[in-house]
Amino acid sequence: MLSEKNFRYIVILAAFGLIIGTWGMGARLLYGHKYMDYGSFVPWGLWVAFDLFFLGLTAGAYIITILVYGFRVKIFAALGPLSVFALLVTLLCEGIIISLDLGHPLRIYRFLFSPNLGSMLFWLVFFIAAMWAIYLPTFFLLLREQLVDWSQDEKRPAHKIYRFLAGGRSAYTEEDREWDHRRVRILSYASIPIGLLFFGMHGSIFAILLNRPLWNGAMTPFLFIMAALLSGGALITFLTYLFHPRDELVQPLARVVLGLLVLFLFLEALQFFVGYQSKVPNFVASLNLVAFGPFWWAFWILHLLIGSAIPIYILLTRAHDSKAVAWACFLVLITFFAVRLNYLIPDLAVYKLEGLQNAFFSHRLRTDYVPNLNEWLVSIWVVSLGLLAFFLGMRWLPVEAAGKGEEEHV
Amino acid sequence: MSKELPVEDSLLRMQRDLKRALQKDPQNVKWGMVIDLARCIGCHACTIGCVAENKLPPGVVYRVVLEEETGQYPQVRRRFVPRPCLHCQNPPCVKACPVTATWKTEQGVVIVDYNRCIGCRYCLVACPYAARTSDFGEWYTADTGELPGKLYGQKAAANGYEAHPATEYGKKWPGRDHDSPVGNARKCHFCLHRLKVGMLPACTTTCIGRATIFGDRTDPQSLVFEMIGSPRAFRLKEELGTLPSVYYLQ
Repeated sequence: MLSEKNFRYIVILAAFGLIIGTWGMGARLLYGHKYMDYGSFVPWGLWVAFDLFFLGLTAGAYIITILVYGFRVKIFAALGPLSVFALLVTLLCEGIIISLDLGHPLRIYRFLFSPNLGSMLFWLVFFIAAMWAIYLPTFFLLLREQLVDWSQDEKRPAHKIYRFLAGGRSAYTEEDREWDHRRVRILSYASIPIGLLFFGMHGSIFAILLNRPLWNGAMTPFLFIMAALLSGGALITFLTYLFHPRDELVQPLARVVLGLLVLFLFLEALQFFVGYQSKVPNFVASLNLVAFGPFWWAFWILHLLIGSAIPIYILLTRAHDSKAVAWACFLVLITFFAVRLNYLIPDLAVYKLEGLQNAFFSHRLRTDYVPNLNEWLVSIWVVSLGLLAFFLGMRWLPVEAAGKGEEEHV
Repeated sequence: MSKELPVEDSLLRMQRDLKRALQKDPQNVKWGMVIDLARCIGCHACTIGCVAENKLPPGVVYRVVLEEETGQYPQVRRRFVPRPCLHCQNPPCVKACPVTATWKTEQGVVIVDYNRCIGCRYCLVACPYAARTSDFGEWYTADTGELPGKLYGQKAAANGYEAHPATEYGKKWPGRDHDSPVGNARKCHFCLHRLKVGMLPACTTTCIGRATIFGDRTDPQSLVFEMIGSPRAFRLKEELGTLPSVYYLQ
């Protein structure tokens, strides 16, 4: 449960992160990619791993909103607006960090003017835009009644801002309520196929690459969907504990997270099994990098021990302790970044042609990539911005007030 | 004693092949390259020639020479494998680009529109031959000390080479701050700007072993056509189905 003291700590921590991250942001905005350590052989580094991490985190919220507004599962109704807000903040973080990773972020309009309909990356961006197009109006429609209410409360600080956010309305009628609820339901139905394609597309951008044995294959999109459901589910469970600490909400969600975690580990084990049995040199080299490379600890300690074994133990042995299971989900959530990094880098970090490592010397033409301080600082800045936006948003927007679970549409 | 060389220099024949190709309808020309591994001595002149021709900055290289070792001591062999962009006829990089900034021309050359490229680097990830590099905006002369008034200070050194505009794709690309090609994916383009004026690619003319053969691979009279038909010819990673336009002779 989020106490006032903890809320203050989080806001201070996020503000501190924003301040120290400014150094990295300055380096990125002033000097481009000059002071970052990714290169041409490992062209995607820390920021792309964060991008995948953020994209995955939206999955839990996606499922909850469909359950609540699409299938009217009343038990999760209180989580509806919270889920939509969490989804929007993670999408915002994703958008910022991937824009910073682009060589020419201001040319993003090119996706509209010269799209390549055969590119998986185009479709990923298309579905990200579609998610914004669905969830931004959903969020507005869910909050509108409360926004109008708050805008009428003259004693409330900044009530004029709420009036602006409510579109200048001073009254909210029964007709408005019906209209909003109907639209939310329609958007929720629309989100089902869009979301499935959106989550499928994450893995597809990797799965189609013939020269990448660790990624290439039909299992990759499925693995990404499972990864997204697991990390997103863990996020929603933890947020539920923070904002709606009720056993009947936290515990069913935690059981789902446990199932997803076991399934994900099984899929991961299958990938290792197939890879080692195939004996394809590049595949085996990539897997060896994950398990026995310089960052073996990220796999064994962060992912398998702290992010899997300990949470499984807690989720099994203390299933009726909401606080314990919420913290188990938190462990899954924060260590999941190691999973993303471990999936992204090792395939890139294997020379795909013999002799490439000695052909031309440049620090950009190496595969031994380690994110540098600037890259970490930029990531800290983005994560801090997301934390600040989320926690201040929860405080200043009627997110909790909007999700009472009494609405007709749930 | 004869006053003529016993064998014509292959460059002369390639030059004639090029002249003939340029007189054809461009649609009927398909550029191709053959690299004779038995002739490559690993001098890296092609790499340096390419870097100089295209004013490539640090970390950007279009044509590298790979050194492959086989066997175990004392039965060890080494061969050199120059690797330009292979200009695949089924290029994975073109399919990857989300904004159609890279495509295959009608003459089979895979090119990049620097002013359209958003710098996502997906094409770098998709290329099976690591033939693309990203321009991170670095300068060779960045650490050169400045000596005001001298001939050899940082500014003078930069002006002598890398501040000169590159002429890739027949345009001048003067900016090396934030403008393209900084931030873009870059790759070999068979020196299209040279071909246009009847000159062979820089790597071909600088190859001292005459290991690089270039020309119209659809012209039966051309040397490149002849070499592609050799039983020694093979292509890199043929199993991927990328159909490179660059062949190798074993």
